[in-house]
Amino acid sequence: MIESLQRAGRRGFAFVENAFDAAFGPRINPFYHLGALAFFFFWIVAASGIYLFIFFETSIAGAYGSVEYLTHTQWYLGGVTRSLHRYASDAMVVATLLHLAREFALDRYRGVRWYAWITGVMLLWFLYASGISGYWLVWDRLAQYIAVVTAEWFDWLPLFGESIARNFLDSATVSDRFFSLMFFIHIGVPLFLLLGMWIHIQRISRARTNPPRAILLGTLAALTLLSLAYPALSQGPADLDTVVSVVRPDWFYLMLYPLIDAWSPGAVWLVAGGGTLLLMLLPWLPPRREADAAVVSLANCNGCGRCFADCPYSAVILRPRTDGLPYASEAVVDPDLCTACGICAGACPTATPFRRATELVAGIDMPRLPVRELRDRTLEVTARLSGTDRVLAYVCHCGGDPAALEAAGIGVIMLPCVGALPPSFIDFAISRHHADGILLIGGAAGDCYQRLGIDWTEQRLAGRRDPWLRGRVPRERVAAIWAGPRDGAELARRIAAFRARLRELGPVLPGGTPSGSTAGGEVRDVSY
Amino acid sequence: MSLIEWDEKFSVGVAAVDHEHRELIGLVNETYERLKRPSASVTVPDFLGEIHARIAAHFALEETLMRAKNYAQFAEHKADHERLLDEIRDIMDDYEDGDSEAFDERQFALRLGTWFTGHFATHDARLHRQLD
Repeated sequence: MIESLQRAGRRGFAFVENAFDAAFGPRINPFYHLGALAFFFFWIVAASGIYLFIFFETSIAGAYGSVEYLTHTQWYLGGVTRSLHRYASDAMVVATLLHLAREFALDRYRGVRWYAWITGVMLLWFLYASGISGYWLVWDRLAQYIAVVTAEWFDWLPLFGESIARNFLDSATVSDRFFSLMFFIHIGVPLFLLLGMWIHIQRISRARTNPPRAILLGTLAALTLLSLAYPALSQGPADLDTVVSVVRPDWFYLMLYPLIDAWSPGAVWLVAGGGTLLLMLLPWLPPRREADAAVVSLANCNGCGRCFADCPYSAVILRPRTDGLPYASEAVVDPDLCTACGICAGACPTATPFRRATELVAGIDMPRLPVRELRDRTLEVTARLSGTDRVLAYVCHCGGDPAALEAAGIGVIMLPCVGALPPSFIDFAISRHHADGILLIGGAAGDCYQRLGIDWTEQRLAGRRDPWLRGRVPRERVAAIWAGPRDGAELARRIAAFRARLRELGPVLPGGTPSGSTAGGEVRDVSY
Repeated sequence: MSLIEWDEKFSVGVAAVDHEHRELIGLVNETYERLKRPSASVTVPDFLGEIHARIAAHFALEETLMRAKNYAQFAEHKADHERLLDEIRDIMDDYEDGDSEAFDERQFALRLGTWFTGHFATHDARLHRQLD
């Protein structure tokens, strides 16, 4: 049942994301930056909130008027800022819910990722509390509606000695002090939200909390245009002596509110509380066991720290040496954080297929696919190829269907992540004449399943991140396709084009390739 | 006699770096000894691949130390590292692609020895002073 939901989700996201890929290109596809977008929206809300705070009057009598002043008299700045405050917080709900749905669909919420999932689900409550307390402050009819319904909702809980709803019986009973309390809630809860967002990203390294500049500017421009075209308006002053009948709720925040009246407060508590509980239990329904975590071989580790620098999940740490060798540190893997992506092995300088005098064991290696086995597989798969266009493809598990790729007549080796490939394998396969060209196939650029695999691979190939692909490797024989399995026809076309290019180039000449400067290396075709 | 003898003046004062320099010297000496003997059971490429990997790992550690200390000549030193790795890779290919007859083991070992002593004397000495 969960799997079919995920499949449907993946299909849905793939459909929309393909459209966005076509429109913007994969690198600035907002769907690949939903979490970062939520951060960005938070900052817009925070900045606009500070401006609104300057003019806001924290009193029952003054609040509505001060917001009206901002909206109408000072529409060019205050009004736009108010609208930005409103629309960015709506957008934050959208980005957050999409982020949640997408991570669910991609199965990135179980196993070692449970922590981000649980903290993320808890953030939803802070997000909603922040938004709803904000609507309260405008003190218009919608605010009155929210005040009354929220009070009814909370009154159902056996928490408060007396009814909160009685505060809103008539104008005389709502005191300025209660209003000040709401004001502090509207500032305090978002601060906790921010703290929670920080906690949410603690278990990954290099969390992307800023979307790419193009997305950032485009989104800001769109929100500003929206604010000018459809300014956020109040819905008439609150008047507790009349019963609010018709309001236009903000469905992003208030979708449950009509149900409080329609059903009962208890039923809505059941839906909200039960839903939250269910979401929080999801990582264990059923749990997932990750592939075995990376293993360090101290005999091959000098503590250079490349695996530590490249691990996307902070699963590798460096600690003081324990085996008596005079190195300062050694790599240690925390299995509770390791997703077995293999990016650490891809970074290890001892993970090279050229080693033959000693047994090939990398300083840090993956039990699922050790470097030695990767070399064996490389030899085995390439032995079956013939012609002058022999292509060996190292394929991320999210990068394509191995059977379909093999049917295209190329050698295929599946990797947990394309970043698990030490660049020396490319040098090895080409210079030892095992293949005429190497293809790296992964998910969409900007959307690496293991977060940093594609980035690190591109930087390693371009000589901007260790270990570099040596400059001597003829770049025209190396190509990367970041496409994901979605566009099969395009993938086949690119493979055919690459093979045609190899036929044109002819076989790799014996006698070694002349040494190119490694530092000056440049990679062609790294983007899809 | 060994090709390169460890000398205290090679010491850069960083225990880990000194240790690896000693190990590399040991590996180069061993290569040299084996290659001198005509009945060598271990082939040249076997050793070259091993030396390449060990030197690459050694450089990785040195570069991490340099980065951590904001070593001023980092780029220069790093380029020197990559040049040596490129050179060894060229020799490996030359050998494996049938140029093995032309391959002069002694010449290669001497070249490696010379490179090492030069590497210790210039860059590493400067690194040592700066890392202090």
